[in-house]
Amino acid sequence: MIKIRNMSVKLGNFSLKEIDLNIKMGEFFVLLGPTGSGKTVLLESIAGLKPVINGQIVINGRNLTGKKPEERNISICYQDLALFPHMRVKDNIKYGLRFKKDANNKTYKNNYKTIVELLRIEHILERYPVFLSGGEKQRVALARALIVPPDVLLLDEPLSALDSGIKEKIEDELANLHKTLGITVIMVTHDFREAYHLASQVGIIRDGSIIQTGPIEDVFNKPNSVFVAEFVGMKNLVKMGELNNKSSIKIPDKNSIHDYIGIRPENIILGNTQLSADYYSSAGISNIKNNGVFIRVDIEFNGIKLVSYVTKNRYSELKLHKGKEIYFGFNSNEVCIIPN
Amino acid sequence: MEKKKLELIFIVSIFSGTIILLFFMYPIISTLFWTKPGIIWETLGDREVIKTISLSIGAATLATIVSFVLGVPFAYFLARNDFKGKNLVESIINIPIVIPHPVAGICLLTVISPRRWTGQMLESMGIEVMGTVTAVVIAMTFVSMPFLINAAKEAFQWVSPRMENVSRTLGASHIQTFFLVTFSLAWRDILSGMIMTWARAISEFGAVIILAYHPMIAPTLIYERFTAYGMMYAIPVTVILIIICLIVFILLRLLAANRSRGEEI
Repeated sequence: MIKIRNMSVKLGNFSLKEIDLNIKMGEFFVLLGPTGSGKTVLLESIAGLKPVINGQIVINGRNLTGKKPEERNISICYQDLALFPHMRVKDNIKYGLRFKKDANNKTYKNNYKTIVELLRIEHILERYPVFLSGGEKQRVALARALIVPPDVLLLDEPLSALDSGIKEKIEDELANLHKTLGITVIMVTHDFREAYHLASQVGIIRDGSIIQTGPIEDVFNKPNSVFVAEFVGMKNLVKMGELNNKSSIKIPDKNSIHDYIGIRPENIILGNTQLSADYYSSAGISNIKNNGVFIRVDIEFNGIKLVSYVTKNRYSELKLHKGKEIYFGFNSNEVCIIPN
Repeated sequence: MEKKKLELIFIVSIFSGTIILLFFMYPIISTLFWTKPGIIWETLGDREVIKTISLSIGAATLATIVSFVLGVPFAYFLARNDFKGKNLVESIINIPIVIPHPVAGICLLTVISPRRWTGQMLESMGIEVMGTVTAVVIAMTFVSMPFLINAAKEAFQWVSPRMENVSRTLGASHIQTFFLVTFSLAWRDILSGMIMTWARAISEFGAVIILAYHPMIAPTLIYERFTAYGMMYAIPVTVILIIICLIVFILLRLLAANRSRGEEI
């Protein structure tokens, strides 16, 4: 178990404030947050690369607070990969073994072989990093981080510099590595789609504070603040009072009228006839945007704007166009009440 | 096929480049061809010439070693840390570059003079500075060390701190990381800085002549022969010094520039 208790870090004008995290060993934990929220600083603090001014980091009962990075057995893999340009791929990968007293141990040799095979980099072992593609560099950086092998693997936005095609491949490989090696991973990203694909647990960080943690489905479907809702792609956020006063849709309200209701755009169903959903009404289409994979349909009713995502087939089937009057609906279990 | 037009800026650049190269090279080439090879050969047999050139080379090398030993750790510190007053510290490092070198000599003289406590302290320790090789090395180090510190600092800044972080998390200590990653990647640029330091040190005259007219270094000998006997006597020593400097300079530049393709990122 990784236990981070009240951890605070101060770097110039920025600070991480009383971070509390519990991460089970073997878990794939994703830390989501916008640029400048402190994701990388948090990873570097866990690795011992940034001084902690307060709090504790305990991994498997071992208190790592104040220990040097080389004493922690935590590997880090950066977005820019930081491969050593003066070493061949094989030397990059074996770098961590130089500092193991039992580096000739059979376990390490087997580990090297397994990782090289898993990441399919046998053919580039003699090359220098400058001669590698983006995807190959990423695999080498992962192999180097895994060879030790670490108690925890920290990944700092490892996919953000990759093309979308390679990105998906590496995403799959990361998921496969995690499954095969059973390693504990803490990854930071600002892309909630990556998190959805890879994470079992997520944490949301903003301005140096963790503002929500939990299983991926919970955080995505039940965000605890407007910030988290917006960050995880919940496009429809309407003030409770506005919805109940302006429209025929009445959501039972035990909360303040200042609270928000949130509905994910993929949960808003569109139809040419009245829908059999818990809540429904009619609306006019104010805009349509083709996003390539899906079509975004903006609808407006009684001054309230909502967004729905539909497939291309559904779009053709419904013959949607700007200005068309359409029925929309959503179910009560897909509605999330977000405190203001 | 469309004819490629020559841009005006390109023509101006080539023109100014040609003037600069001529401005730098012509005086040197002119000097090299001023005298006959026989006279240069004869001068090589002059013990005073050999002695002064050897002292110049030795003192410049020593000044470079001192600059390396003191300058590289400090350059690494400056490259990796931001602190209040860093600009001031960096400005102080560059002071020897901006002050006239006889002025630098006078400044050093005020420190090592027996009238000052520093000079008295050295004297009481039995260390003689004025008019010794030590004074030559001190003067050369003073004027040339900034080149090494600046080059080393830039070289270290070029190495991403993230590489060092990765190395540390993989089990290397800070000092192991410095030698295996940082210095391994920066050494060619530091070597270039050492060449500049050495070149600056061997060409130093203004500061050295204030602290130590004797033992004589090559530039002092050239100055003495020029003022006492004229150009004909100064030129052979000048040519020998130019040739030696160019050989060392080219060899070291080749070593520094011989970067393997794998190291380029």
